[in-house]
Amino acid sequence: MPGSPSALLYVFLALPILYLIGFVGFPIAYNLMMSVQEVNLGNITEFIRPFVGLDNYRTVLADESFQKVLVNTLVFVGCNVVAQVGIGLAVALFFAQDFPGAGFMRGLLLCSWMLPALVVGALWKWIFATEYGVANYVLQALHLTGSPIHWLSDPSVALTSVTLANIWFGMPFSMILIAAALTAIPKEHYEAASLDGAGSAARFWYITLPALRPALLAVACLVTIYTMRAFDLIFAMTQGGPLDASNVLPLLSYQFSFKQFDFGVGSAMGSFAFLIVFGVALLYVRTLKHEEPAI
Amino acid sequence: MLKRSRILVVAALCALAGPVLAQPKTISLWHPFTLETDMIYGGIKAFNESQSEYRIDPRIVPGPQMDSELIKAIASGSVPDLVTLDNPVVASFSAQGTLTDLTDRISKSTTIKPDVYFKGPWASGLWKQRIFAVPRDANTLALCYNADMFKAKGLDPDKPPKTWTELLDAAKALKDPAKNVYGFGFSAVQAEEGVFQFLPFLHQAGGAIDKLDAPEATEALTFWADMVKDGIASRDVINQRQYEVTNTFMAGNAAMVMCGPWELPRLQKEAKFEWRLALLPVKAGKDIAASSLGGYDWVVPKGAKNADGAFRFIEFMSDPKILNEGWKTGRLAPRTDVTVTDPLWPQAYGIYRKQLESARARGPHPQWPEISRAIQIAMQEAITGTKPANTALADAARKIKPILAKTPL
Repeated sequence: MPGSPSALLYVFLALPILYLIGFVGFPIAYNLMMSVQEVNLGNITEFIRPFVGLDNYRTVLADESFQKVLVNTLVFVGCNVVAQVGIGLAVALFFAQDFPGAGFMRGLLLCSWMLPALVVGALWKWIFATEYGVANYVLQALHLTGSPIHWLSDPSVALTSVTLANIWFGMPFSMILIAAALTAIPKEHYEAASLDGAGSAARFWYITLPALRPALLAVACLVTIYTMRAFDLIFAMTQGGPLDASNVLPLLSYQFSFKQFDFGVGSAMGSFAFLIVFGVALLYVRTLKHEEPAI
Repeated sequence: MLKRSRILVVAALCALAGPVLAQPKTISLWHPFTLETDMIYGGIKAFNESQSEYRIDPRIVPGPQMDSELIKAIASGSVPDLVTLDNPVVASFSAQGTLTDLTDRISKSTTIKPDVYFKGPWASGLWKQRIFAVPRDANTLALCYNADMFKAKGLDPDKPPKTWTELLDAAKALKDPAKNVYGFGFSAVQAEEGVFQFLPFLHQAGGAIDKLDAPEATEALTFWADMVKDGIASRDVINQRQYEVTNTFMAGNAAMVMCGPWELPRLQKEAKFEWRLALLPVKAGKDIAASSLGGYDWVVPKGAKNADGAFRFIEFMSDPKILNEGWKTGRLAPRTDVTVTDPLWPQAYGIYRKQLESARARGPHPQWPEISRAIQIAMQEAITGTKPANTALADAARKIKPILAKTPL
């Protein structure tokens, strides 16, 4: 009797574990292996390659562009998380109000999130063009700036530009997740609070925000993970330039592997990016565990 | 009953035809050419019809992804039979032993004779005296200018600038900030394309890649950086790819641009003004005519199932009759014995054909991408004003030195 159900149990257990080992574990292990080897076009088909210890990691840490790009990545991800969650929350609250067309327009906002990142990148490159871009046109027409801003060709502005574009691109995703969490807050709480004389600010502060806390944390983790993978949008807008000013880790790792053919160094960079994402993913799993039904 | 006898007849016919009509062997081909007028399409069709032993199975791989797709194919051990590669990366692949050595096949070939090829394109396929690639086409950069704007600003469109000074003067006269018109446009993007556009100036100044810390190199880069600083060229040049530079030209935002012949079909279709081509200007006193050499090479990855069939197709496509068709999409023939009679865009053809004679190959060097990256960074540092041109180039020279010490150019 105890034999048969546990056999089935092992089958069900084995399926996801095999999947994880095959499609997640193997690439990670393979990447780690490549990061301690000298890998070039000639030996990429082989498994046994010259072992170089931590040389690739030393090269990466000493590389000027890596240091700059690591800082870029943290700034890019940080700004994206704060802005996407913040604006997402504001927009979700706005559409939670009862007015005609609210649901429709909320759905319409999702359109930008459904576009391919390369298309969005090309679009923003156009918007941010110095001479004929609409961003400078509007700013100058409103007399907010005298000389045109070099959105993508000024090293001190480029990171801001790609960040803005990515916030626009990713915000609807946060918004829709937060909107879903909003609908789960029982209406009675608000009614009771109103009867007790709580204003809209107090209701937001004492009811909405605490109820949304787990959802917001989860969204923040997801946005971090998504933004850590940002590649195509930046690739289309600036290719990481000028002077790596708008470059991020995944793109730099790609450039080292597939443009310089230095796969070992590219893999070592990938390991750094992996460590960051892994840390955030752990946090995400923890918040999911602690997530309780709203209030 | 009738049906059954028909089937029998068909079956009998098939049995008879079987040994004669053996299944043709498929040759998988990767190429990035999307214009249907490109010579590759006519070539594939004619090749497939001309014989029954092989059949070309083409797949379009976008240019920027070609390297990474091929690397993935090599890593997974299932490679296509034939690939067209951008010529400066060929050495990276051949030096690492990932391409089939074509030397013996070429020595037996009646169509492909090394001495009929231009030196630059041919050199791109060589590694240690062995031949790993055959040039498919060649291209180079020339100066494209808006003749209408020349007239409007009182310049003679029949006398385009011939020297750096004349180029600068013309660009100054042509720029018109009120109308968002820049005098000159080029691509200084952080990518191979940027280096492709910068090298003509480096060589015209008398500079060289292995002497980036010499004053000649600084002169060349300063020439570019100053144009951006003085508003003669847009600051966006450091973020513009070549096709975007052409876009600014076609939109009337740049009066003169560096332009390759592959843009001619687009110029013809979209430019609503009279445009003309001119040889790249030279630096007075130095008088070195120079341009960059670009183009695609045929390569057969090592491990290709049908290397012989692939080579048959390379030979087929290297026939002057096919190469003659290349110009329809602005592809110049890499062979000296091909002259297009009655070409499209005759003025442009004359200029590019002449410019090709002074076009220099990049490399060949297995670490060309690293050399290129060092130059890209120097270009961007100087143009953005992050570092003075001479310091930026000295830094690049320091990065390139150990690479060249290991494998000289």
